[in-house]
Amino acid sequence: MTMRFKTIFMAILISCASLGAIPMVQAADDDAVAQAIKARQAGFRLYSFYVGQLFAMAKGEQEYNADLAATLANNLVAVTELSNGMMWLPESDNTARQGKTRALPEIWAADSNIGDKAQTLKDAALGLSLVAGDGLDALRGEIGAVGEACDSCHEDFRAEDF
Amino acid sequence: MVQDNDTSAGASRFEPQKVWDPAIRIWHWMLVFSVVSGWLLGEFRSFSTMQWHIYAGYTTGTLILLRIVWGFIGPPPVRFRALAVGPSTLKNYAGKMFQREPSGVAGHNPVGAISVILMLVLLSVQVMTGLFSEDDALFFDGPLANTVSGSIRTTLTAYHHLSAKAILVIVLLHVSAILFYLLWKRENLVKAMITGWKIVRK
Repeated sequence: MTMRFKTIFMAILISCASLGAIPMVQAADDDAVAQAIKARQAGFRLYSFYVGQLFAMAKGEQEYNADLAATLANNLVAVTELSNGMMWLPESDNTARQGKTRALPEIWAADSNIGDKAQTLKDAALGLSLVAGDGLDALRGEIGAVGEACDSCHEDFRAEDF
Repeated sequence: MVQDNDTSAGASRFEPQKVWDPAIRIWHWMLVFSVVSGWLLGEFRSFSTMQWHIYAGYTTGTLILLRIVWGFIGPPPVRFRALAVGPSTLKNYAGKMFQREPSGVAGHNPVGAISVILMLVLLSVQVMTGLFSEDDALFFDGPLANTVSGSIRTTLTAYHHLSAKAILVIVLLHVSAILFYLLWKRENLVKAMITGWKIVRK
């Protein structure tokens, strides 16, 4: 009986100890790197929110609305023009932060052309914003370049999965 | 099969036979078209052509389903029963594969049968993962993508890209094998898949 009691007591003790350890593990989740990762993911969510609706219009899945299209494209431009270099901290790639980011270490490589890719997106977004409110055909003509800019960067610098 | 020690006997031991039925021949070349175009439209994708990648996927999926039906009710050489080769048959054929003569099999040779099964499995994986894939750059999603959670979608998209690479490997292997048969074993398998007539051991 006492052995059994001891076992149960130990089990409860160990459970409490491990429960107590959870906040300590989570602390590493909220350091500067973790916050930077979340911030840049928020940026990508904004891209996706704006451009997603423009793609939906271009594909006829959402009704074309000139004012909305122009606003979405202008917002996209605004987000692409933010200087967000400070979010790309060292040790914030997908090997240093497994399961939290899909950013490949190649982004930080000496010969990385991530800057050129970012510029391609900026140019494409700007090109789109100039015509997005001028009708569906104009939108369709320019939106491909935006998607292809996204695609080319994902291809080189984003892991397939977390 | 008969003894193969005498390779000098040559063509006399073989005769042309009608092996491939018209349906399987049309099916094969349609599959070549849908897989090659689907693969190229996926690899070299653009906003204006992505919808065609999805159509190629539907076509490939339909062809796979037809092949499964044909594997049960089709003519003997295309049935799954003929593709189910055991280890000993496989080992036996692999041992004499490098002899400079046609396989003489009235259907898929044992190594080819394994290759066919592998291709069918990989293409099924490709089509099924494609149905759930997402493309968050060109914003083309598979028709069932929003029936699963975001993390499952990401994983299945990764498998879709991975199995595309595997398909490239096995298709190149398939083409290499055909060239090997043509140049080394003096058997034109492309012609057989066009006319239906294959060189078979008497």
